[in-house]
Amino acid sequence: MLDRTLPSQPALLARIPGVVVMLAVLNIGFAWASPGFLSLANLSNVLAQSSVLLILALPMTLVIMTEGLDLSIGAVLSLASVSLALVAVATGSLVLALIVGVAVGAACGAVNGWLVAWLRIPPFVATLGMFGVAQGLALAVSDGQSITGIPASVQAMYSGAMLGIPVPILLMLAAALAMHVLLYTTPFGTYVFALGGNREALAFAGISQRRILLCVYTLAGAMGGLAGLLLTARLNSGHPSAGIGMEFDAIAAVAVGGTSFERGNGWLPGTVLGVITIGVLRNGLNLIAIPSSLQVCCIGVLVILAFVFEAFSGVRRGEPR
Amino acid sequence: MSATTLPAPPRLALSSELMRISFRLLAVALLCVALSVASDAFANQANIMNVLRQSALLFFMASGLTLVVLTAGLDLSVGANIGLSACVAGTLMKSTGEPAYAVAAALGIGAAVGWLNGVLVAVLRIPSFIATYGMLWILHGLTYAYMAGSTVYGFPRGFRQFGNGFFLGVPIPVLVMLASLIALALFAGRTVWGQQIYAIGANPVAARLSGMPVRRRLMLVYTLSGLTAGLAALVFLARLNSAEADIGGSLTLPAIAAVLIGGTSLFGGVGTMFGTFVGTLLLTLVLNGMNLLQIDSRWQPLVTGVIIVAAVWIDIRTSGRKT
Amino acid sequence: MIIEQTNATTVLQSCGVPLLELRGISKSFPGVKALQDVSFSVWPGEVHMLLGENGAGKSTLMKVLCGAHQADEGAFLHRGEPVRIMSPTDARKLGIAVIFQEFSLVPYLDIADNIFLGRAPRGRIPGTLDRRLMLDEARRVLDLLGMDIDPRTKVHQLGIAQQQMVEIAKALSQNAGILVMDEPTAALSERESEQLFRVMARLKTQGVAIVYISHRMAEVFALGDRITVLRDGQRIRSLLPHEASPDALVQMMVGRSVDMTYPRHFGAPGETLLEISGLSAASGIRDIALTVRAGEIVGLCGLVGSGRTEVARAIFGADPITSGEVRVFGRIHHGGPEAAARLGVALIPESRKTEGLALNRSVADNIVSAGLPKLFSFGVFHPSRAREIARDIIARLSIATAGTQVAVGTLSGGNQQKVVIGKWLAAKARLFILDEPTRGIDIGAKAQIFALVDALVQAGAGVLMISSEQSEIVHVCDRAYVMRDKRIVGELQRGELSEQNIVLLGMHDA
Repeated sequence: MLDRTLPSQPALLARIPGVVVMLAVLNIGFAWASPGFLSLANLSNVLAQSSVLLILALPMTLVIMTEGLDLSIGAVLSLASVSLALVAVATGSLVLALIVGVAVGAACGAVNGWLVAWLRIPPFVATLGMFGVAQGLALAVSDGQSITGIPASVQAMYSGAMLGIPVPILLMLAAALAMHVLLYTTPFGTYVFALGGNREALAFAGISQRRILLCVYTLAGAMGGLAGLLLTARLNSGHPSAGIGMEFDAIAAVAVGGTSFERGNGWLPGTVLGVITIGVLRNGLNLIAIPSSLQVCCIGVLVILAFVFEAFSGVRRGEPR
Repeated sequence: MSATTLPAPPRLALSSELMRISFRLLAVALLCVALSVASDAFANQANIMNVLRQSALLFFMASGLTLVVLTAGLDLSVGANIGLSACVAGTLMKSTGEPAYAVAAALGIGAAVGWLNGVLVAVLRIPSFIATYGMLWILHGLTYAYMAGSTVYGFPRGFRQFGNGFFLGVPIPVLVMLASLIALALFAGRTVWGQQIYAIGANPVAARLSGMPVRRRLMLVYTLSGLTAGLAALVFLARLNSAEADIGGSLTLPAIAAVLIGGTSLFGGVGTMFGTFVGTLLLTLVLNGMNLLQIDSRWQPLVTGVIIVAAVWIDIRTSGRKT
Repeated sequence: MIIEQTNATTVLQSCGVPLLELRGISKSFPGVKALQDVSFSVWPGEVHMLLGENGAGKSTLMKVLCGAHQADEGAFLHRGEPVRIMSPTDARKLGIAVIFQEFSLVPYLDIADNIFLGRAPRGRIPGTLDRRLMLDEARRVLDLLGMDIDPRTKVHQLGIAQQQMVEIAKALSQNAGILVMDEPTAALSERESEQLFRVMARLKTQGVAIVYISHRMAEVFALGDRITVLRDGQRIRSLLPHEASPDALVQMMVGRSVDMTYPRHFGAPGETLLEISGLSAASGIRDIALTVRAGEIVGLCGLVGSGRTEVARAIFGADPITSGEVRVFGRIHHGGPEAAARLGVALIPESRKTEGLALNRSVADNIVSAGLPKLFSFGVFHPSRAREIARDIIARLSIATAGTQVAVGTLSGGNQQKVVIGKWLAAKARLFILDEPTRGIDIGAKAQIFALVDALVQAGAGVLMISSEQSEIVHVCDRAYVMRDKRIVGELQRGELSEQNIVLLGMHDA
């Protein structure tokens, strides 16, 4: 029998994370290519626009840490967006809209979690199916149209400010902080690490793997609902295709940020940096007039680079036994 | 247990395959009957021809995809591949007036994209669903950038015959579908390469230790998947007589569903080209039926999604495979 | 090596009740009786050595003790009270901690998190961990073990020895009364081992009992307060160190009546089929040199972890070589499995189900899988010809199967193994590398496998056979190499081939 040793690598801080390098390169590059890039207005614009993505990418980090994937989060966002928009228009209440959005998202997430944890369906299939379901429901609920007439209370979620700081940025900070606390200071967080790094350890400790998985996916769905609220506020309408493609950006942000898809190595700060990297990339490419379609290409290339980087940094094991 | 006792009960691989296909053919027949009853518009000549043409299109996407799924992989980029190939080929044909260039472009780009997928999966060892998912967006972006929102239309008449014409009373796409069905079925079932693909899907470690060139075969299946996407692009062009950036995107999920309900297992090593053919018919009938019953097309992704999850679940339950 | 021994055991034994007692424990798996009526007791503060060859039942016993498997029969007594161990939680409550060779640590969590996984103390803010308490406690147990390391270090940054210490710390923190360790020094250096022994001495003074599985005679005699020998799932004897000698222990470990004859026709060996010199690989094997000639069955022995499988894989090309030369049929072979198969080299891997067969595919498909390029010209595959080839192989090897189209997963272990060998026979292999060919195969089928191998070499093939069952090697092989610590330490010719010699060469003597 071959010896099986745990993979060891130099401490994360001992080698500069790839995402920091990428971010630095992009910033320097765009600052040189376009004078308007480094202005305060532009940078705060980048941050605000990244807020929705961050809210999606944070729980996606946890999902990926458990060796899973959530392809449905964009569609779930859309479904939440149209649902809460209807409620907001009907009642004018921000609170109700928030509750509905998060509830819808959490329900979808819970179904995902059930499919993955109890029916043992591979995550990408389960969430691919949910993608179709959520997309269909979103079109049905909205009748294929945008829902306009969003009340001011909801609009304020994006355009408002508290203590001079735009609300979306506050939300970003709050979400990042909350997720950080969850992952790094609670028992639940340690279980998420264990799900990816060594599931047997959970079995020996008497913890139910299924319940943890269910929570992870439900959380992703719920945050998708929250992101739906924010996006609705930003677009000033609920739209059934609001979230299309956002799951890709979220996955890209996590991958670029350095979270591994295989070993339970999650790095939330990396995800934050990854989100900002993508935001900077899009913003910078906009400024030099590259169409949005090609921007997606660049993000795709970044993801592949992130994988190649991981493969060649010697951390991945070779041919399994 | 002595060495001469027989294991019980024996599972005869061949006849179980026949049984599974028979079940599905039965389902096709039942569905046809049900649809004829449910809607007057089903059983007429025009609709049947339409169903056949549509299934040909879907089959081209699903056939190459079947080979990929046989190796326990997935190609989520087929739809976007069609989009890019169709747009480039269409633009080329419009500007030069030569269908031959379109054919070369579509097949060439399709295969090249497939080859790139193969590199990502077989050489860089990126999980196939992530690699092809990333490729999907890259292709999407390239296509949208290339077309810049415009549509190209109006192709030579001869070329359009490829999509709309008949030969001996049979729509040409259907003939091409049958031809490719036979060719790919022979490839999968009657060549050494095909056997190796099955073996790789069933147990890649054992395949490698039996001396099979796993990496080369993986690259082959992804390239073929891309090639058949290129073929599908040509049919799209011929039928729609136009090309725009989002062609093919809406057929990715149905293609996957067709492969899965045709009996090919997501876990690799099980499935046949003929099964995919029947699965394609089934799915096309379902979508056609939904149209005839005036169910809004926005429900199609939902139905397809449910079908996919159900098919995988049934596969897990009946084969007892652990994920 | 300075080891402290206390007389704690003798004192406590006179006090009456063992910490844990096993009575008549039995455990079977399909086709295999892993444990049969095993009884022994563990006293507080003693180091109880558990000896046995590969397959004697030690790892099954460990799994039963920690609750991962449930015993079929028998009883446990904890301090005289009957208890049941049905799950890991039960074992933990009884204070039993088992440290396997594969650790149950989460790599990207730190030491403190790992120590408290699943039972972490909550802090003042509801829901969060009380990190201060965790770190304090972690430091306390690490200190007890003499480890000066920050409990905030992530486990993946630790070396094997340190990770092992963390596992022990985990057990200590749960107030384990019994620590079961599986070959703990296998991956440790001399210095690290001494550190471990110091820790063990400290634990002993606190009344912790240690069940220690080892193959190293020096350790057994230096550390052990009592020794129990297992063989074939049964307890042979429990005794005190001064009542035994290394030779006597080996005798107990291997001594079995030869109840099988393996028919073997020994003849003069022919041309050299395999010649290896200076072979080293990334898997750790160093300077391997051996030869195999036509008509020979050459054995490759050694303990688990000595590097035998690594050698097999390096020869076949499944793992990359870092230096040295492999000559097959006179030609240098430095390619991968594809080249090896083409040349006529066959590998029958250790785990036939995961590496040798595609269980869901038919017998015929498996049989032709290694020889596809050779058996089918122009790349055209004929199912009928495949069936024909399969029928031929099935007949030649007497494979019991309902037909060529049956899924190979439904065959019995012995017949599955025959299919693996048959696959290479069909591929016209002439050099066979067999890795534990009779593992998990019942007695009757074993004889058939050996008859088969004998026929192979009679027909001119050469065989390199890895086996952990010394009796097999002794009866079947023309000669054998013995490995230890990833190197070859000796070659035994026919006349020198005995179980004693193999075991003695293969075990550490320092």
